[in-house]
Amino acid sequence: MPIGSMLGDIVKSFFKKPVTEKYPFVKTAAPENLRGKLVWNPENCSGCQLCIKDCPANAIELITIDKVNKRFVMRYNLDKCTYCAQCVVSCRFHCLEMSDDQWELAATHKEPFEVYYGREEDIKFLLEKAALGAPEEACPEA
Amino acid sequence: MPRQKSERFIVPIGPQHPALKEPGHFEFTVEGEVVTNATARLGFVHRGMEKGAESRTWTQDLYLMERVCGICSHVHSMAFVLGVEKLANVQAPPRAQAIRELVAELERIHSHILWLGVAAHEGGFDTLFMFSWRDRETVMDLLETISGNRVNYSANVLGGVKVDINERQKDELLRGMDFLEERTRHYLKVVTEDDTFLGRTRNIGVMTFEEATRLGAIGPTGRASGLLRDVRMDSPYAGYPDFPIQIVTAKAGDLEARFVVRIKELFESYRLVREIVEKIPSGDLTTKIPRRIPEGETVSRVEAPRGELFYYIKSNGTDRPERVKVRTPSLCNCASVLTTAIGHKLADMPMILAGIDPCFSCNDRMVVLNGPAGQSLWDWEKLRQYGIEYYKK
Repeated sequence: MPIGSMLGDIVKSFFKKPVTEKYPFVKTAAPENLRGKLVWNPENCSGCQLCIKDCPANAIELITIDKVNKRFVMRYNLDKCTYCAQCVVSCRFHCLEMSDDQWELAATHKEPFEVYYGREEDIKFLLEKAALGAPEEACPEA
Repeated sequence: MPRQKSERFIVPIGPQHPALKEPGHFEFTVEGEVVTNATARLGFVHRGMEKGAESRTWTQDLYLMERVCGICSHVHSMAFVLGVEKLANVQAPPRAQAIRELVAELERIHSHILWLGVAAHEGGFDTLFMFSWRDRETVMDLLETISGNRVNYSANVLGGVKVDINERQKDELLRGMDFLEERTRHYLKVVTEDDTFLGRTRNIGVMTFEEATRLGAIGPTGRASGLLRDVRMDSPYAGYPDFPIQIVTAKAGDLEARFVVRIKELFESYRLVREIVEKIPSGDLTTKIPRRIPEGETVSRVEAPRGELFYYIKSNGTDRPERVKVRTPSLCNCASVLTTAIGHKLADMPMILAGIDPCFSCNDRMVVLNGPAGQSLWDWEKLRQYGIEYYKK
């Protein structure tokens, strides 16, 4: 095979479909391990803040509404997140997981990148407080 | 008009796009078309990562170090995590070690095929580039299936790994390896038999065994000159004591030998992946590791796809490292480019440069500025003043 050793591949390619995915039109399912958007389930959260301590990008914050009754709101910054899943590993109560179907996270403006998790009334209370310009209760350094 | 006696001319290449899409500056002195001298200047993408590591916790540093290199992200985090575990006197469970090796070998496959495509592209063989990169998608998908990301796998945590492999993934891995092995055999034939391509690689950039020893060449670049140097064999780490490798070397030391060594290493990686998939030990994935790492210092070495990766880690007993020093393989191999370039035509330079599989961005660590009075150590105030003056112009 002195020259043209890849001619066979080229000729074969004429009779094959392109290997590129027609992404926005045809969507293939992501693998189940995919590290997509972070999802917080407040049910078991003890407020230990290990996830926040370990986050390499400081993408998550836990805002305490009522410490005794364990009512917290989590503010998650999608644009800061590096999707490393360290918080998922750090959580002892399995409150956090990374979704495998929410990964189309691009947006043209900043608002969708700030996600609040928690009870609806708590989030509402927090956002109203923020709108009034009152300083929110910062979570103390654990 | 009489011709000038000397036709010496300096051709600057870079910092933008010197053969590769990374910044590095090279100056080749040419006489006619033949290169007679070469110098390099690196340091265009100093990112301050070592300093950054000092202000983050051990866990956060793991992800910072993973981002030192965009191609071999896993080996960086593995070198760091192995060093930290050594300091803390903690041993990750055998299953975790095997998974670390598995991801490292998959990464080597992806890196070597990537290089094959890049080097073929530099040689003007774009068909090989396109086809090899198409096949590389197989291993990228496998990495995504296992870890959840194509580039920054984040498979490591301090004290173990966070990903496990199940039966379905094992099947996918075996199928992927079969496909890639068949394709790789074809590529080996192409790079060793195609006359047009051999014209670009055979006897080009020859580095003899003696020269490779003198220049301290490492990785596949050194092994192509007959150097028996591989950290996986010399001091096995992670899963390598249980799943040992067989070193691949060649004698010629030219570009063709570098192609052959890297492609044969691919076969070795396929074999290892299969062996790990079949004989992976069962057990835990992580073990407990303290948040404050005991005081001490350590050196951690792993074999990256490009050669030996070196980490020096110093702890002062707190939850943050005192010093992390990284030396990447590209820095060691850079000198070989400057030596082997001499005597070749300018048109061969991109190929010779690509032949060491350089990764400029990861090796840029520090810039030493030579001050007006030959001073090379500046304090903060002076540096600030220099910055202000520089931009005034």
